[in-house]
Amino acid sequence: MPRHDEERRSSGSSGRRLSRRSLLQGAATAGAAGLAVTAMGAANPALAATDRSSAVSLDPAKTPAGPIVVHVRDAKSGDIEVLSGTSETRLRDKDLAARIVRAIG
Amino acid sequence: MSSHREAPEISKDPVADSTDLYAFVSPDKTSTVTIIANYIPLQLPSGGPNFYEFGDDVLYAIHIDNNGDGRADISYEFRFTTTVRDGETFLYNTGPISSLGDTSWNRFQTYDVSMVSGGSSTVLGSGLPCPPCNIGPLSTPDYGSLAAQAVASVGGITVFAGQRAEAFYVDLGSIFDLGNLRPLANAHAFGSLSAGPGVNATNNFNVNSIAIQVPISAVTRSGHPVIGVWTTASRQKARIFDSGAGEYVSAGPWEQVSRLGNPLVNEVLIGMGDKDRWNALPPHDDKEFLTYVTQPGLAGLLNVLYPGAFPNLAAAVTAGTARADLEAIFLTGIPAGVVNKTYTTFTGTVLADMLRLNTSVPPAGSPSILGILGGDVAGFPNGRRPGDDVVTIELQALAGATLSLVDPTYKVDAVVKSVTDFKPDPPSIGSPPTGSFPYLGTPYSGYNEPS
Repeated sequence: MPRHDEERRSSGSSGRRLSRRSLLQGAATAGAAGLAVTAMGAANPALAATDRSSAVSLDPAKTPAGPIVVHVRDAKSGDIEVLSGTSETRLRDKDLAARIVRAIG
Repeated sequence: MSSHREAPEISKDPVADSTDLYAFVSPDKTSTVTIIANYIPLQLPSGGPNFYEFGDDVLYAIHIDNNGDGRADISYEFRFTTTVRDGETFLYNTGPISSLGDTSWNRFQTYDVSMVSGGSSTVLGSGLPCPPCNIGPLSTPDYGSLAAQAVASVGGITVFAGQRAEAFYVDLGSIFDLGNLRPLANAHAFGSLSAGPGVNATNNFNVNSIAIQVPISAVTRSGHPVIGVWTTASRQKARIFDSGAGEYVSAGPWEQVSRLGNPLVNEVLIGMGDKDRWNALPPHDDKEFLTYVTQPGLAGLLNVLYPGAFPNLAAAVTAGTARADLEAIFLTGIPAGVVNKTYTTFTGTVLADMLRLNTSVPPAGSPSILGILGGDVAGFPNGRRPGDDVVTIELQALAGATLSLVDPTYKVDAVVKSVTDFKPDPPSIGSPPTGSFPYLGTPYSGYNEPS
């Protein structure tokens, strides 16, 4: 298993706790849910391939209404921040970062 | 405009750019304090069809520290919502706007105001109306009535948010031309200009004001009448352009992009390389900017720009004198016993740029625009009133006028009393401040300005 540390901060009450799994779920349904995954390049064909590879279902009740923005701060160390609502979740996930890098080709 | 376009990043984001902050004991309601935070600088009144409005994606706040730690004990937060009635017309209004509910006003704003204290947030008012911009005599024929309708009383405070006339006056064109002061231009080192009266560069421009009037008892601690005030604007951490919708969307926690306490601190004292970071930090971190305050670059320049005019100031600069007077004015407040036995704006030893107001000092019967330099203890730097000439006060302070308060052996250069950007002072203001809330004048009409 890749190392996966999570740190979350919020400046409001509308944020939702994110995990690596929920992030991947969000990425998997980016088109249908209207999610903006900027760091993953939503219009990139490589990302579409990544989307199809996920079979994890998404609970609509837990899907944030607004955009989710993923910022890969350092792909080598897997330092990723995920922004949604008024919350920020910090991930340390080399595997996820590597998948994103592969997706943007 | 004492902080207009003062830093590289915020100069590109006028909607979030704080321009001036005022805090004073309300002259017509002395049990209250009025705080006005202005945003969106240098509004050309005729600037339509998309006239000026607050940012729906900006969190505006007025903060009050009442225990001297440079941290907010009470914050008033403002969020705005823009509504378009008819998206098929390009017009701001399709007929005269006779009331704030007039359906001919096509694009309007409302706002929510909350009070944050003790870790909890309380909504004081929701859906409060802003007035329209002052378009012209056909569109906004009775602007005074519209503005009056936008004054609300909610949750124990009086509040207003909308366009007003610029009250700050400064000769921008001269000062930013190598530190030239037009009344003293004939003595400037870099040219042979003639002396002149000064040009009020901000006259006939508008700003967007957020004004609150709060009971003094609600913002002070018993026995501690001095408060520190500052305003901030924040944006969410990520902002991306949604090309499908043709608009920006935001996500993430709020990040501060603009800050203003004392006038001109970031604009004139802080170095270019630190201005953006200063805007993003809270006041209680200001100790790292201490040298900019105690060794101000402008003080060293004065005797260069005006050769031989400031010999005592030049000697103090050469000697490396740390300006304890400026540190007190801007970062700690002035302790009792410096100006006189009773005058104080001191909040403690924490270095924090806040506009400090001693709420126990009643409004002056005959205010001096020079505040403390004019013998008026109710004026800047004890708070700031819309008419205070903060440019002249701060220029004279930087030139050494207040150094003698902390160093009795220092002899103020004779020329210091002549240091100003206007002569006569103050200049003419087309729509001057008023005597009642929200105190800033009626915004200039787009039909009349520019004339």
